[in-house]
Amino acid sequence: MAEGDTEAEQLKEKANKFFKEKDYENAIKYYSEAVDLNPSNAIYYSNRSLAYLRTECYGYALADATKALEIDKNYIKGYYRRATSNMALGKFKAALKDYETVVRVRPNDKDARMKYQECNKIVKQKAFERAIASDEIKKSVVDSLDIENMTIEDDYVGPKLEDGKVTLTFMKEMMDWFKDQKKLHRKCAYQILVQVKDLLSKLPSLVEITLKETEKITICGDTHGQYYDLLNIFKLNGLPSETNPYLFNGDFVDRGSFSLEVILTLFGFKLLYPDNFHLLRGNHETDNMNQMYGFEGEVKAKYTAQMFQLFSEVFQWLPLAQCINSKVLIMHGGLFSEDGVTLEDLRKIDRNRQPPDSGPMCDLLWSDPQPQNGRSISKRGVSCQFGPDVTERFLEQNKLDFIVRSHEVKAEGYEVTHSGKCITVFSAPNYCDQMGNKGAYIHLRGSDLKPEFHQFTAVPHPNVKPMAYANTLMQLGMM
Amino acid sequence: MAARKPFTDSDTSDEAVRATCDDATTCKRFATSKGYWKDPYIQYFARSVGERKAPEINRGYYARVQGVNHLLDAFIRKAECNCQVINVGAGLDTTFWRLKDENLMPRKFFEIDFPTVVARKIHNIKTKPPLSKPLIETHSTDSLLLDAHSLDSDRYCIIGADLRDISNLDEKLKKFQLNPELPTLLLSECVLVYMTPSQSSNLVHWAAETFHTAMFINYEQVNMSDRFGQVMIENLQRRQCTLAGVEACQSLDTQKERFLKTGWEHADALDMMTIYSMLPQDDVARIERLEFLDERELLQQLLQHYSICWATKDKLNLGNYEWI
Repeated sequence: MAEGDTEAEQLKEKANKFFKEKDYENAIKYYSEAVDLNPSNAIYYSNRSLAYLRTECYGYALADATKALEIDKNYIKGYYRRATSNMALGKFKAALKDYETVVRVRPNDKDARMKYQECNKIVKQKAFERAIASDEIKKSVVDSLDIENMTIEDDYVGPKLEDGKVTLTFMKEMMDWFKDQKKLHRKCAYQILVQVKDLLSKLPSLVEITLKETEKITICGDTHGQYYDLLNIFKLNGLPSETNPYLFNGDFVDRGSFSLEVILTLFGFKLLYPDNFHLLRGNHETDNMNQMYGFEGEVKAKYTAQMFQLFSEVFQWLPLAQCINSKVLIMHGGLFSEDGVTLEDLRKIDRNRQPPDSGPMCDLLWSDPQPQNGRSISKRGVSCQFGPDVTERFLEQNKLDFIVRSHEVKAEGYEVTHSGKCITVFSAPNYCDQMGNKGAYIHLRGSDLKPEFHQFTAVPHPNVKPMAYANTLMQLGMM
Repeated sequence: MAARKPFTDSDTSDEAVRATCDDATTCKRFATSKGYWKDPYIQYFARSVGERKAPEINRGYYARVQGVNHLLDAFIRKAECNCQVINVGAGLDTTFWRLKDENLMPRKFFEIDFPTVVARKIHNIKTKPPLSKPLIETHSTDSLLLDAHSLDSDRYCIIGADLRDISNLDEKLKKFQLNPELPTLLLSECVLVYMTPSQSSNLVHWAAETFHTAMFINYEQVNMSDRFGQVMIENLQRRQCTLAGVEACQSLDTQKERFLKTGWEHADALDMMTIYSMLPQDDVARIERLEFLDERELLQQLLQHYSICWATKDKLNLGNYEWI
């Protein structure tokens, strides 16, 4: 044995002694010195892994066990250690695989068998829980509503659905009603919500549309409860219709004081022109954001908590992305934390939920582009930032030309980055009554799919006493 | 009594300025309720926690409070409490009680604000033992000198006065035993900006003339000539709140200038974005975890449009005021 090896062995013995005395810190110290001298000894890693387990450093324990097995795939203790680490980390399926290996190689090892059986039980239990969770139909607010029997008082002179349906007349009346800061009767609001929930739930998570040569579409970004600016968009660009299609790319509510007016208008048009008016989910169409940034407070103040519950359910059914002519992909946030995501993956997303902390659904709602190549941890603390190379690879793999996203306020209302392959559009001018930014929308023609940008500035709005949150005019800064 | 010269341009404007003390108080009340920093006394000035404020507002107030307190406390320590503090436009500020709790009380702590604001503050102090008790503890006799618009005690004095009437201000302070020989710290938070440049100039000049060893800390807007600044000015105008002194808020340099040309020896200024990054970062990390901020750009813009400027006159050579 080489001299270094002898010394390493001595260090290992020293470490073992500390381990026996339960001095795990010192054990780790000397195992590490042994590893430094002889980095190809599986036992050192395995022993250190056990010491890490005892000190609850499960991540390090897992790394060491894995390293031990890399060096010697026949080292049974390594599988054991790795399984224990994985158990501690809650990765039961991975642990089970390793326990299986140990049991197979050491059929008489009672401890191994016992651990395997325990792990197996846990894995089965979790699978069962998942199965019954999806079978169990979570109770919807819809079930507890009796809309038919809601009466509209005689003194209500506001807009009503015609035969239970949204019509253009109704939409025009409702928009004027809202403009005068009046409230839509709750029955009408419920009717809209129940119908739009039904409509949205039938859509795929990735909506695919074709724009004919002669057709065009207008893509808008965040509107954030700025109702009067939304009315201005319709004034500048025309009301939605079969020949004037729109896509609103998420973040319809929160921050602005007129979120209800915005969302009911958008939902109304969705019902009126289901094939020509599109809505995608933004990160603000979620419970956490609504609780903090005003929408929940606004709904509770103007209607009820139950209605907010229903909004929450409807938001969960909003599609996550839209693809136009198989060339342009639109989503609120951006691209993914990992390479290899395909359009098929997006189609398959089970979206009727609050977004998870990570994964494609989370990324679609939360990520941001960055100027430099590669990916970085997001400043937002959720999802990631992705560079031009990520965009390039994604577009190539999925045979797309460019993406359009929103999610970030821009001084000019829009921004073209990643050599034209990543476009941001933001449609809430003078965001929060503070930023002084322009808003923008994009015209996309079926003939050439070249984005055309239109900018607009904020219009005045009533000085509304702030809702539970979006305290815009009052909070002007530090006073 | 001689007839008072009319100083106010319009009553509405002054009223709007007075109302800003409620903004500050309710924002601080909300932020402290969420745990951004501790202030056990603010609840006696703002009964309920009130409506939710945006996270960037809470973080902005955190930065302001930490930043100002850092400088204030450093000065008091340097002077070994052998100093005075004058908070001009103090509103319903609770610093006196904090300094008492932390054993950092100056020889005397003065506050000045409009008489109606002071009246409200005095009423709160009179009727709430958690406020009055500490005050009485620092006073040598059992009774405080109280009238409608002023309160005087050994260590704490609150004066109702118009900051634009310097002679009246000077007279009142001297009446309540202001000692020009003591190192003195003057503090103004979003105050000078509501006066015209010449009015605020008079005030800071008076301070430079009156004290030989002093520091003036001024927290208020900066970088106001850009779009964000314009929007803020318009918003405030709609609330009848005129930023009459916004000229000095164009840049860090203009903030320093107003002191350097009125007799102050030295001036430094930093915007709040910079100060935010200089605050103890583990505490900043803690407060950032309190509430999720959905759009960082909002915080950035806010912080870039406020600054702390501190000017010094240092006859006694108290030394530099380091930020570290």
